[in-house]
Parts: sequence; C-alpha cells; structure tokens
Amino acid sequence: MKAFPSVVLACLLGTPLAADEALDQVRRLETRGEAKEARLLLQRAVQNSPNNVETLHAYAEFLEKHKDPEARSVYEKLLKLVAGNSSKAAEISRRLVLLDMIAGDTEAAARHLADYQAAGGNDLTLPKAQTAALENQATIEIPGPLHSFARMAALSPDLAPTDLLPALARNIVTSGYQASSGNEALEQTEYLKLVFRYLSQARELEKLAGPDKVIVIETCESTQTADLLRVLGFRMRGGCGAEVVLETVNATRAFLSMDSGFPIAELEQALRTNRLFKYDFRPTKIPILYGADYWLGGKDKQNVDFIDQFLSDPSLCRLYLGLAKLDRETAEVLRQHVPVQRIRAFAHVLDFFGGMFRIRGGKAFVPGEPRASAAWADLVGVSPDQGAAFYERLLVRDDGWLAGYYDALARIDGPVLEYLTEPARLKRFYGALRGRVTSPGPARPVFRSNTDLMLLTSRLRMDRDGKPHIPGGVEVWKNLFINHPHGKYDGKLTRAASSWKDVDDVLEALFALCRKAVENEPLKIYMALSDINRRRAVPLEASTIDRLAREYRRFGAQYSIFSEAPTLTDKTILQFMDAARDVDGIRNQMMKADVAGSFQALVGLWQIFTRQQVIPPASADAVLSEIITPFLQIRDQRQLFDGARAGVHALLRAAGTPPGASPQDRMIDLLAGTASPADPDAHQMLVSEMIRIFEAQRLVSLTTLFELADHLESVAAGEKLNPSLVSKLASRISEIQLPRSSLSSVEKNAYAAGYWTEKHVDEQRKLNLRALIDRSSRDPGKLKEARGLLAPILRDTLVGFNYIHYAPPGAQVLYTNPLFVRTHDFLGIQGSQQTWRATEVFGSGWPSNAGGRLVGSLASLPYALAEAEQNFLVPSREQALIWGDLVPQMILSAKVPRWWKVTPRQLRWVALHMRVAESALAEASLKPSLREKVLASFERYATPARVRNVADLLQRGDVHLAVEQVMPLELFLMGRDLVAGDIRNHWLPEIRQLASEAANEVSPEAISEAFGTPKPTLANSYHPELLYLRTFPTLMGYSSRIMAESWESNILYFAALAHDLHLPPSQMNLLVPEWTQKTVERIFATHLEDWPALLRSLRVVGDEVRATTRQMMAAEQKASLQ
Amino acid sequence: MKSIRNLWLVGAAAALAASSVLLFPGPLAAQDSQRPVFRVKVELVVLSFTVTDSKGRYINGLKPSDFRILEDGIVQKIATFAEGNKPPVQVLDDGSVRPLITAGTEDRAPADAFVGTNVFVLFDTSNYMYRGFVYASDAIADFVRGLDRADSIAVYTYSRNLSRAATLTRDRNQALLGLRKAVAGDDSALYNALLLTLRDAAKVPGRKVVIVFSNGPDNASMVAPDDVRAVAEDEGIPIYVISTSEVNKDPVSAGVFRRISSRTGGKAYFAKTWQKQVEAFESIREDLGNSYTVTYYPAMNPNEGFRKITVEIVSDPGKKYRVSARPGYRPRGGF
Repeated sequence: MKAFPSVVLACLLGTPLAADEALDQVRRLETRGEAKEARLLLQRAVQNSPNNVETLHAYAEFLEKHKDPEARSVYEKLLKLVAGNSSKAAEISRRLVLLDMIAGDTEAAARHLADYQAAGGNDLTLPKAQTAALENQATIEIPGPLHSFARMAALSPDLAPTDLLPALARNIVTSGYQASSGNEALEQTEYLKLVFRYLSQARELEKLAGPDKVIVIETCESTQTADLLRVLGFRMRGGCGAEVVLETVNATRAFLSMDSGFPIAELEQALRTNRLFKYDFRPTKIPILYGADYWLGGKDKQNVDFIDQFLSDPSLCRLYLGLAKLDRETAEVLRQHVPVQRIRAFAHVLDFFGGMFRIRGGKAFVPGEPRASAAWADLVGVSPDQGAAFYERLLVRDDGWLAGYYDALARIDGPVLEYLTEPARLKRFYGALRGRVTSPGPARPVFRSNTDLMLLTSRLRMDRDGKPHIPGGVEVWKNLFINHPHGKYDGKLTRAASSWKDVDDVLEALFALCRKAVENEPLKIYMALSDINRRRAVPLEASTIDRLAREYRRFGAQYSIFSEAPTLTDKTILQFMDAARDVDGIRNQMMKADVAGSFQALVGLWQIFTRQQVIPPASADAVLSEIITPFLQIRDQRQLFDGARAGVHALLRAAGTPPGASPQDRMIDLLAGTASPADPDAHQMLVSEMIRIFEAQRLVSLTTLFELADHLESVAAGEKLNPSLVSKLASRISEIQLPRSSLSSVEKNAYAAGYWTEKHVDEQRKLNLRALIDRSSRDPGKLKEARGLLAPILRDTLVGFNYIHYAPPGAQVLYTNPLFVRTHDFLGIQGSQQTWRATEVFGSGWPSNAGGRLVGSLASLPYALAEAEQNFLVPSREQALIWGDLVPQMILSAKVPRWWKVTPRQLRWVALHMRVAESALAEASLKPSLREKVLASFERYATPARVRNVADLLQRGDVHLAVEQVMPLELFLMGRDLVAGDIRNHWLPEIRQLASEAANEVSPEAISEAFGTPKPTLANSYHPELLYLRTFPTLMGYSSRIMAESWESNILYFAALAHDLHLPPSQMNLLVPEWTQKTVERIFATHLEDWPALLRSLRVVGDEVRATTRQMMAAEQKASLQ
Repeated sequence: MKSIRNLWLVGAAAALAASSVLLFPGPLAAQDSQRPVFRVKVELVVLSFTVTDSKGRYINGLKPSDFRILEDGIVQKIATFAEGNKPPVQVLDDGSVRPLITAGTEDRAPADAFVGTNVFVLFDTSNYMYRGFVYASDAIADFVRGLDRADSIAVYTYSRNLSRAATLTRDRNQALLGLRKAVAGDDSALYNALLLTLRDAAKVPGRKVVIVFSNGPDNASMVAPDDVRAVAEDEGIPIYVISTSEVNKDPVSAGVFRRISSRTGGKAYFAKTWQKQVEAFESIREDLGNSYTVTYYPAMNPNEGFRKITVEIVSDPGKKYRVSARPGYRPRGGF
C-alpha cells in the first residue's frame, strides 16, 4: 500500500503551512500523481486561511482542472474576496462566466458577466436567448406517446427530436421492405407491418381518449372499460373487484399493446382496486425538415397522415435521410434550387456520399481547393462556384462513383490530400476508379460499397520524398500483377503492369481495383505491407515484401504480428514464414494442431510481452527468432515439447526472470502487465483474476509440466520415480471431462464438427503416465520419449495464457466451459485450412453441441474472445439495442492496452487539453470573433452538419449541449489545435510547463501509445495507437467494425475521468474494462451508425462514476480533515 | 451483547448467502505454484426434493428423522430442514429440531430469507416466441399472482441478451409491471441467459428455482446446455422448463430440456396451448409447496469430482415412495 505522504501527514497533524509553501507542495504532489493528497492539502490550507486569496485561487483552479462542480462556489468566494481589485475580479468573474456556461447555468452566467463588465471586462456578450424551438419548427403528429411509437419503430427514446424522423427513415430504408418472390415490387417486412398496425391501434385509442387526449377509466364497470379492453385485445377474467385479471382475447392486438408498452399491469391494478385509471395519450409532435408539404408534393394531403405516406415510401425516406445529413445552409440551398422529384432519384447517392457537402456563400466546397477547383469543375461538368448545381450534377453523374470519390477525399487532409488532389492526378485516379461500366454504383447496396476507396485514401502513407509509400518498390507490384500467385486480379491491369514505372502507376491500379465488388486482395496486401513498414525505421526489403505479398492469402492474417514490432528484421520475418510453411506440411493432423497451437501461442505471448515492453524493443527480434528456430524442424511430440519449453524459457529470460523463479508464477505476473508493478494491489487483483480463469480451464501449470519432464529424464537415468509428481498431473487430468455433448451418435455423425478437438481432449483424458512409466521402466529411451506425451498438455497451457490475458470482462464462457481453451480448433473443418487464418467464433447457438469454440489461428484472438462474450452483456434498458462489431472492438480496446507505464502527467495532459477546448467553446459562445477559429478547428474532425449544429448551439448560448455534442477525441484534438494556435486560455501556462518538463511523456507519439486503441482492421495491428481519423460510417464487408476502430474516444475519456477523480493511472487496468462494460450495457442505439448513442452512454457512465467516487472521496476527506 | 444463538443465525445466514459455497483462502496451492491460490470448496449443500407415492401424489408431513441423505454412500448430517413454505428448523445432533427463526427474529432480513422460495422466471421473448408471446405472458402473470406470499419472484426476459425485467421482489405488482413491459426481440440465446440467471440466483440466500419459459431453439448461445446444467447442479438450483413446442417438433431441444431439468431436480413440461401452460405452472407451484429442503455440510469425502446424492426414506422400508432430487453435484465454485 502506498505510504501516506509526509507533507499531508504534517498538515493533518495540524502543522499549518505557509500559502506559498503549500502551493509548492501541491504542485509536487500533482506531478507525482498524488492529486488526492494535493486536494486535501489545499483544503486544509483553505480551512486554515479562508481569506488567503492565493490559496483560495489555487484551490478553485485545482477543482476546475478536475472538473469538480464545487469549483464555481469556491470561485464565487474568491470573487467576493477580490472585490476591490478590478483586474483580479475581472479574471475570476470571467472564469466563472465560462464555467457557468459549460454547466448550462445561464442565469449565473448573466450575473457573473455583469460582475465581469463591472470590473472592466468588455469582450464577452451573452447571446440573446432564442427559443430553440419546436414551436418555431415545422412538425408532424404521430398518434400516441413517443415512447410507444419508439418501441414499435425500434427508435431510441434518447434521440434528439430532430433526429427522430431521420432515424425512422433509416429503419424504413434498411429494415422496412424486402423483395417479394415472383414480384418486382417490394413488400413490407414484419417490422413495418407491426408499425402500421400499431399506428392503427393508436388512432383507435386516441379516439377513446377524447378531445382532452387522456384515456380515463373511472371505474371497473364503466362502459369505457370494455371499449378500451377491446382495442387493447384483452378481457377481464372474474368480476370487477380483487379477483379481476386481464387476459388476452385478441393476440394481435394484445401483442401490440404489450410491445408498445401500454401500461397493462397498471390498468389491471386500477380495475382490481376500482381506482381511477388515467393515461395521457396526446399525440407526439416530431420536427420535420421543410414541412410536410415539401415531401408530399402533389399527393393527397387531406386524407392520409404524413407518417403513413412516409412509411409507405422507402425512396422518400431515403431522400429524407440524405437531406437530414446535410448542414442547414447546404440543405436549404439544395432545396431552393433542386426540385424534390429530381433529387429523389439519386437519394441513395446523397444518403451515402452527401455527408461532406458544404455550400457557403453559394459556393460548393471541394477537396483540395482552390488548386483542384478547376479539375472538379471538369469532372463534374459544373463549377463549384454554382454550389447547388455542382452538387446536383455530382449526384447524378456515373451512379455515384464521383460522389463516392468526392466523399472519400473530403474526409482526409494534409499531404495525402494535397497529393491526391493534384489536378492531373485527381482526374487520372477518378478515371481508374470509374472504369467504363459504371453500374452498379457504390451506393446501390445496403452498405456503402466504397470501403476499399475509403481505406486507401485515409490510410495512404507518404514517404519523405513526398510520394506515396509503395512497399518494396514498384517492381514488386509490377511482378505481383503480372505473375499473380492465385489467378489474375484484373486482365487489363495485368496487361498494363508491364509498363509501370512510377508509384502513380501502382496507385492507379489500386484505385481501379477499388471499384471491384469482389474481394480486393491486392489492396489488402498493400495495406497490410504498408502497415508493417509504417513504424519501421528501415522498410522491409523488396524480396521480403515480394514473399509476403505472394503468401498473403495463406498467411496474411499473421502479418499483424510483424506490424506490431517495428524492430523485427527481414531474416526473422522470413524465418516465421518458413516455420509456418513447415507446420502446414505436417501430415498427422493431431500433431499439426499441436505444433501450430504451441507455435502460435508462444508467438502470441511474445507479442503480448513486446507490446507491454516487458521484453525490451532491442531484444524483441532475437527472442522471436529463438522461439521460431526449434519449430523449423519438428518431427515428433518430444521435439515439440522441447521446442515449446525452449520458447517459454526464451520469453522468461528476455523478461529478466531471475534464476529459480517459478515459470508459472512469473508468466502470470508478466501477463498481468509487469513483473514489478508500482501498484502491487492493482496488479495482484489482475493476477488473481487470471489464476481463477486458469483454474476454471483445468490447465496444467508450466512448473508441473517442466518438473515432470525433468523427472522423466532423471528416471531414465536411473533415478527413482516420484509418484506424487506423477499423480499431481494425473489428478489434474482426471478433472478434464469430454465435451458435454447432447448429441446421439447419429446426430454427432451428422454434424461431425470438432472431431480433432474432441480427439485432442480425449487423448489427454486417456493419458496414464504412471502406467507408461511402469511399462517403460527398463527402456531409458522410451522414458525420454515419454515427455512428448506432455506436448499437447503444454500446448493447452500456452494457448490458455493467451486466452486469460485477453479474457473479456465477465469471461462467462471461460468460467463456464472448462474445455473452451482445449477445444480451440487449429485445423478447422476438413478442407478449410484455417490454421493460419483469423480466429473465428464457431458453433454458437447449437443446443446440441459442446458450446461455441474458437477456430483458426490465434492472430485475432482478442477480437474473437470479445465477440464470444458480447451476448453475455446485459443491456440496462430494453434488450437487443446494442450491436455486434462495435461491442467486440470496445471490449478489446479495454483489454489489449495496459496502463502500467502511463504517467500522471499524461493523464493531466489529456484532461487539460479537454478543459482548453471546453472553455474555448464557452468563450466562443460569448465572443463571436473567436467562434470562427474554434469552429474551424472542429471542422477538421466533424462533418459539416455537426459543425453547424454546434455553431447554432453556441450562437444561442447552449454551451452545455454544444460540449455534449463533441466527442472526447475531438475535444482533445481541438484543445491541441487551440494550444498550438496560441489561443488565450488560462490553462496554457500549465500545458507549456508540462511540455517543457516532460517532453517525452507528452509527445504525440507517447500520448498515442498511452491512450490509443488496437486497430486490427484499419491498421493491421493490435498495437494501441491513436490515428485521429474522422469517425467512419458503416461499410460493406465490415458493417460497423471500421467505424468502431475509428472511434478513439473511450480511452481518452476514461483517462480524463481518472485524472478528474485523482485515480492513479495503474487503476485504469482494473477500471477501464469495468467502465467499458457499463458503457456497453447502457448503449441505447437505433441503428448501426448511431454513435451518438455511444457518446451518451459514455457520458452517463462517466457521470455516475464521478458522482459515486466524489461522494466517497468527500466522506473520506471529511474524516481526514476532522 | 449478542447471544450465541444470534451469532449462529448470522453465521448460517452468511453461509446461505454464499449460496451453498464459501470461498476461503485454502492451504491449497495451485498445483505446485509458489503462489497461494484461493480455491473453492463446497461448504453447505442445499438440497430440495419432493416425495410422491406410486400415484404421483405428494407425501407431506415427513420429519427430518424420516430421511437419510447420502453422498457417494456416505451418510450426511442434516443441518436444517424445511417443508414447503414453512419456516426451516435446525436439526440438532440428537435428531430433535428447533425453530431456526425464533420469536422476535421474523422481521430480520437474513432469517426471513430462509422462508419461501426465490423464483426466477426466464421468459423467452425472441422471434421464436413471437406468436405465443402474449399467451405466455398471461400464463406467467397467473403464475406470479398465484405464488405463495412467502415466495419472491424475479422476471427476466431474454432474446440475444438477457434483460432483468423485474428483479427479485415479493411485490407481485412489481413483477407484473416488469413482465408486461417485456419487448419482443430477435435471436435466441437461451443457455447464455439461463447461465446469467443462475449466477444471479446463486447470489441469493435461501431456496431458489429457475423456471424457463421457452419455445426451445437457441441460435446464439456460446455455452452448452450441459455446462449450464452443471452450474445449476453445483449451485443446487432446480431448473423447471415449460416448452411451448411439441416434443416431436424439436427432439434435440426436448431431450436437452428433459435432461437439464431432471438432473437439477426440476421438471420439463411440453405445453403448446395456454391451458397446458397454466397447468404446467400449477404443477410447479405444487412442487414448490410440497417439497422438502434440507441443508448439510458434506462429510469428509476425497471425491473432488461428481458426488452422487441419494435420499432415502427410512420410514418407508417397502420403498413405496418416490423421491425426486438432483442426482448430485460437482464441488466447485460459482463465479
């Protein structure tokens, strides 16, 4: 346990410190990460000298820095104390105004602004209150309460009113209609049929509710009771009184009543007790863009409600969705200039690729402007100066290819944008992308099909010479296209490849391949190899790149291992490839699985140790090479055991294991993060958790296995057998059960899945080492061979270490299925060759099998484990509104990084930048001249519609809501931009001081390393890092996985939270998984791109943690101060 | 000053609160690791069973002395005994009994926890249940209303994920409110949800059962039915299953339902119609009201694997009565 700092102790003992002395000590404590003690010291100092301005000021600033709501009241006290000093009063009142605005307390802000102005401040003006406005906006009506409609239409009731109709439109587009058999027309899905049925029932209820729109049942016997129950589909069983029960009479109606959340139970209680039942059934007003008339056009507006027409017309919904994504100004210009019927035909293009459209002063923004403006005019056929006409033409060109190209380029900036938008290049690459036949366009499917294009443009890397990085050089790619290893990628490109000379030739081919609907292997190879080179000081040699490219299909999933360690040499990488090929050549399937499992598990452990830097970067290459070497020539189980054991020793040695240490204990210590933790309590908790899982999986400890192997050697040399050692293993093995299969033999044969894994388990159960030793007692050779029998058991232990390191929060599967590790299938179903492929979840949802298991290599184990666990999360509200792809990525972002090496300064750095951005947003609301600068920074990371939304909120003084709209990552980046831009801000001196005293800790690389997340898809690596990309949309082939990887806000938010609550960084190792689980369980999303739901959930969890921790802290500090 | 008796009661409550297992820092080292490891040993076993005659009629009024409990053939000493929803009694060394809840202690929460059964209803709201959703809800509502006053009820629903619609309560209205607000879902992860329900039930002191109301299929679970069954067996929680599917329509699910219920001391019902569902619930309610619950601390037994439990009725030498109990358990911890 941490020693209580002497200075605090002195203070607590009642030795009052001088104010300046106390402040010095506060700074020192903060630097050491002892913010809690610093706060206590300040509190005590303030208690001792309540009228000391300097101390009070320091205390207020401390609270403000830690986002403590008490900061405002302390500043108020300070303001009173400095009443006579106008410059000081101006400074304090100014801060108060900004804090009031951030807290959403406009009344206090007005009061403090008056103080500020009285003290001579004249640069801030409170925005005039504007009625935000539902009543000023056009609205439509939906019968009944919102929560009922939201339940039926699968909308989150947390959506902002303006987001309701777009969310509904999206649900209709994606889930409302399906192709009908033998008919070209679309037919309604069950989901939409239920929505219509609900609307019909709601209208009936609305009639019953009468002019007051309140359903009233005065007594059980009243006539309204029967009417209401008829509409609801229920009837009374038993006469009125205590025995009355409501039961279903019309299943269809009753289903709607229940599913829409009509208060049936409350009604039943009211009838039973003969009490008044009242239910507000007022219709819900929902804001609509431009008013209903715009959308209905010439349709009959009198007899049918808007909502019915809207739901009946998926193309109308698509158009609404597209226009709702535009910023207000752009949408208005388009509305005025383009008739609805004209734009409607291209609604799908607008929906997918219109999000970055921006018209300002009538002119359209184009990527790479002004240099590329003319080129865009040529491509589109209209000048960007004619904003509306330009975008209209962009939408109708080539079925969406040009719009997709525009969208991909509009999302990037910096040197890559500059390079790609060089006018000639812009046109050339567009030509390649578009091809000759434009149909089907990239906006046709349900998801955007320009995934590869977006990945290419956003992940392209520039070399120092200002040209795009081409791994291995042009020749490698030329050869790949000409002598393709698995059949032609593209006939035309193959022909053209022979004349390639320049990087642009390769790039053009990659752009051309982006239009292909089939899997784009060359682009994947390019991305994977670029990512390997990305962090390397010296790129891989052309020959290595050539081999990696050619063997991508077979071993590509393993390349993320090479991306993670930039110090790997070409030799070791090639050695890995050789070993992998050798393993593939093993004919005995059981042996192959054991060798592959042991090899991959050791490499996985090396990867973990390298990532956690328990193996120094300088020795990473040598250690991997040492692990690989024995696997180059494995012929039997004994060699396998010896090779795997040598690998374990290599790992432990490289991690500085002292001689004589228990390999098992040491391995667990290192897996928990570090062998000598600064926070032993937190480390011990992680270690205990890992041991529990190890035990639940009935794995055999490394120490037992190695001792047994040594003992067999000794027995072979004539020593006496140690029966207790042998029975230790036998007793452990007796705990291994065969998979608890519920299948009959016939059914088992029919499914026939998992044969080899079952055999692997069965062989272990049958192992009788004692009998074998007895049988071989006269043959030392056989006794030596006997240790080969331990090889499959050692494999499971090594694989198990990987599993327990990445075990997701809860780890229900690992605790419940004791064979989960042992049944990892390294071979896959016969013929599927999954030994080196990505890890996949297999066999879930069969009541008759032995439970789900993982198949394939261990390369993407963290994601697969998270995927297997995600359905065990319990949503805190209605179920099934959290979604796959995003959740596993969130879980692995909380489990792969470890925060043992993160420093308190790094936490402070993140929090201070967020504070800068928050106060800048508040100031921008009160100072229009600053607004442009702040929004310009925001615009670098957010879509035009979001920027406009925040601008509107700032303009009307709703800073609290504006800050809520900005993601934590964006806040941090805005803070960084504003600091770099020398904006006037009271946190600037402290940030500069941090930068000067700990430049290495707060460098962009260090912050990225500390608070980054793994991005196996975007960056082909599990190495945690921050890429600072705009949040991606959902993309074909990846659903929301890439979007989830581009979401980098969680860890930064949690880092700031840890700072604010004075938690040491080491605690993040325990708390981030817990906070992440809570965040997932509180997500209430409407659709796959509903990341604002995630943001809301993150803030709710943060607020809860803040409230509970502060409550505990206050009680603790009160006790200390007394 | 606390009396010795009160201290014992607190101790017993704590033992039950740990749901039949206690975690203790054992001297057991993890195999040969140098680090001490906390392993779980079964400390108190809760065993519920029913006794019926040859015609299936419940036999009531039996005393602790009428029973002999054996684990792997080793006779066990009964610690507490309860019949139906009557308060449990402590069984003394000489075979006599005395009330576990004495006058003046009835209102204490820990002691109160021994009275009645904690019933966890797990309701399938997946797409598979779509058509029968409302009738199922009615049948569950009737069951909730008809429960003994001493019983507590929790209503959970599941689809792809679990939802705790109403947490454990004695307030029937709360349970009905939760039940009637259930939302129809999509995929079905029955065994995942059942596992989580068992984990929740295991944390509750006293007697508990889980009632699964399902259509049968599971297309999203990661855990196998028999791994979940093993958890129920070890925790001593009977699982009752009411399947709304016909036996021959889905023989695999039917087989699984039969096994997980019988192995845990529960029953499986195949009730496609609303009427049959109501009857099934009625039968469960009868089981709850007519069952015996004993607790005991297992006698020394070297078997760390599956321990077979036998309940003998010493007052029935002719073996006319039939005992329905879980066949045994594996001494391992819950998580």
